[in-house]
Amino acid sequence: MTIRIAAVGDIHLSEHARGTYRAHLDGIDERADVLLVAGDLTRHGTVEEGQVVVDEFRDLGIPVVFVLGNHDYHSDAEQEIAAMLRTAGMYALDDSAEVLLDGRLGVAGGKGFGGGFAGKCASEFGEPETKAFVRHTREIADRWRIALKGLDTDHRIVLSHYSPVKETLAGEPPEIYPFLGSYLLAEAADAAGADLIVHGHAHAGTEKGVTPGGIRVRNVALPVLGRAYAIYCLGGEEL
Amino acid sequence: MDIWDPPHYVAARVQRAIAEDERTNELGIRVDIRGDHLFLQGQVCEEDQRERVAQVAAEAAPGMVVHNEVICVAVGEPGEQEVL
Ligand SMILES: [Fe+2]
Ligand SMILES: [Fe+2]
Repeated sequence: MTIRIAAVGDIHLSEHARGTYRAHLDGIDERADVLLVAGDLTRHGTVEEGQVVVDEFRDLGIPVVFVLGNHDYHSDAEQEIAAMLRTAGMYALDDSAEVLLDGRLGVAGGKGFGGGFAGKCASEFGEPETKAFVRHTREIADRWRIALKGLDTDHRIVLSHYSPVKETLAGEPPEIYPFLGSYLLAEAADAAGADLIVHGHAHAGTEKGVTPGGIRVRNVALPVLGRAYAIYCLGGEEL
Repeated sequence: MDIWDPPHYVAARVQRAIAEDERTNELGIRVDIRGDHLFLQGQVCEEDQRERVAQVAAEAAPGMVVHNEVICVAVGEPGEQEVL
């Protein structure tokens, strides 16, 4: 049975956006079965901006799953923003997983982080700052593996802010790739198995890519899509 | 005494200001300098963010003529479905 996944990221709602975003989501419950939001929900990561996100996305009639992005961490209010989303009846993944649609769909993931791509990446060596940077990504990838393996659902999706592959960064300056994602995220998904990876963060990137293990990757950053959200159908032809 | 500021550093300073200034926090803006002309390129999500980006750039590079070529992303209707 087909599952229709709506996805968008990098909506960057500031307080100026209050009351303006909701119109883009009108009728989404007729077009999709679930909405995934791939981080950078806010501009500065304040509680006030988090409240704008809650108000614009609540009660859409379908499950809404968020991860946070780097902007949502800027004011050290990320835990509070995640809690506000959950209180409003939505999901906020933090290197965790959720089972949706009566066990037909599992979504695992979180913010992710950078480090670069195989052969051109940082490693856990040298100064403590360098080691901490790379360790952060490795520990995230380890938690994703566990979260994914725990999902016994018909389909599994990874939701991230940072990119797992470099194909979907095409259009960004190659010099900043290590700040846009890490191959460790793709490696975790390839090891545990998934049908799709959805991410954002790379505003100048490209929508479509694939992991070395063959999992489809979609960059759904709003400036990349140029539309309110993309819709991906899993599990056969759309009826 | 006047210190000559190489354009390379001015561009870097402006780009950093746009990323770090609380009014903007906009990360993907490209800054090019040709003589005393400063060109801004990239995409933002709100029309007034476009203007704030130019304002922060002007303050970080006083005396330069700012050309704001940043565009505001239009949020279109959700399009075709993709069957995976
Ligand atoms: Fe973003
Ligand atoms: Fe981001």
